[in-house]
Amino acid sequence: MSGPDAYVMLLSSLPHHGALTRTKQTPLSRLRLNARLKVLAPEDAEALGLVEDLLSWELVQKLGSDAEVVRRAKQTMARLDSPFLKEILRQRLELRTMVAALRRRRRGLPAPRSGEIWGFGRWTNHIAHNWGDSAFGLARVFPWAREADRLIKEDDAYGFERLILEEVWRDLGRAGEGHTFDFEAVVVYVLRWNVVERWTAYNEATAKERFVGLVEAGMSQAGDLFGEAANG
Amino acid sequence: MNELVIALGWTGIYGVMALSAIGSVIGCTLAGQSAIGAMLDTDGGYGRYLGVSVMPSSNIIYGIVVMFTLNREVTAENAGALFGIGVFAGIALLYAGLMQGRCCASAINASKEKPEVFGVSLAPAAIVEGFAVFVFVFALVISGGAPQ
Repeated sequence: MSGPDAYVMLLSSLPHHGALTRTKQTPLSRLRLNARLKVLAPEDAEALGLVEDLLSWELVQKLGSDAEVVRRAKQTMARLDSPFLKEILRQRLELRTMVAALRRRRRGLPAPRSGEIWGFGRWTNHIAHNWGDSAFGLARVFPWAREADRLIKEDDAYGFERLILEEVWRDLGRAGEGHTFDFEAVVVYVLRWNVVERWTAYNEATAKERFVGLVEAGMSQAGDLFGEAANG
Repeated sequence: MNELVIALGWTGIYGVMALSAIGSVIGCTLAGQSAIGAMLDTDGGYGRYLGVSVMPSSNIIYGIVVMFTLNREVTAENAGALFGIGVFAGIALLYAGLMQGRCCASAINASKEKPEVFGVSLAPAAIVEGFAVFVFVFALVISGGAPQ
């Protein structure tokens, strides 16, 4: 692991993210980010790659089952030396476990059976034992859980996504405190970049959906209008 | 024993300059790297970044002046004073240079994104500079009491 000032130049060359929910696009393209990240020491680049791979949304889709994702997470954790990276991963995967539990309950499924591999971290058994509670008995650990439960029950996908991404954003901010020009600061920057990308892509998808909806609504009204005009 | 005491005296005389030089080297390197990084992300104001990045170089100037003030014939009577003043002033100036470099790097990083905070962002570096000036001035004052 590199020293506290190992990446002064790299971090000074990266534009600031700004506030998550006000951002319209990533501060720089992935292509440019990758070009800047070439100054990382090989071992740091490898560690960052492992973390990014494990946290990528594509990996969950590729691996398919929860058990496979958990197995991959344990493999990655074992390969990492840095307690900072392990803590970031643990925090994120536990958050995903909570989200998975909320979604599972929303679909009307029962609590996971004992021995079933469905989530990662310290709270899987606790969640299963407190399936009836809106925050699975973890409101103190995850203060956002009740709000997330309310949003998911109301099928407010946009609000839910926003809440979760904001929480991830805050967690990364807390993890990055005290790290200004070191590898840890680079990791926090890149992971926040991924969150911004996810958020802006989600916004874009929502905007497209809304646009299509408006067009369809407009077309149907236009049909009526023409009908009325024809009748008139 | 006497030779060791004399050697310590010379260590104090030259040490203050060498240690403050190390501080300036590290400080200017950190701030300079930040300036170069900022240049990659901006289209102007390069001179300003470079100007800030040389701020930690003042520490070696203080070190040189203290060295010349301490420079005299080293005897068993004055060697202890020369060692104490030189080495401790040097360590303080080294640390000031290093920390000032970090302050300057952060100032460059912040003012790149918000040019309006350029002046304010230099306040921490200026405060560190103030402490380095204390070290410098009192090293001169105290060295006046060391036997010639």
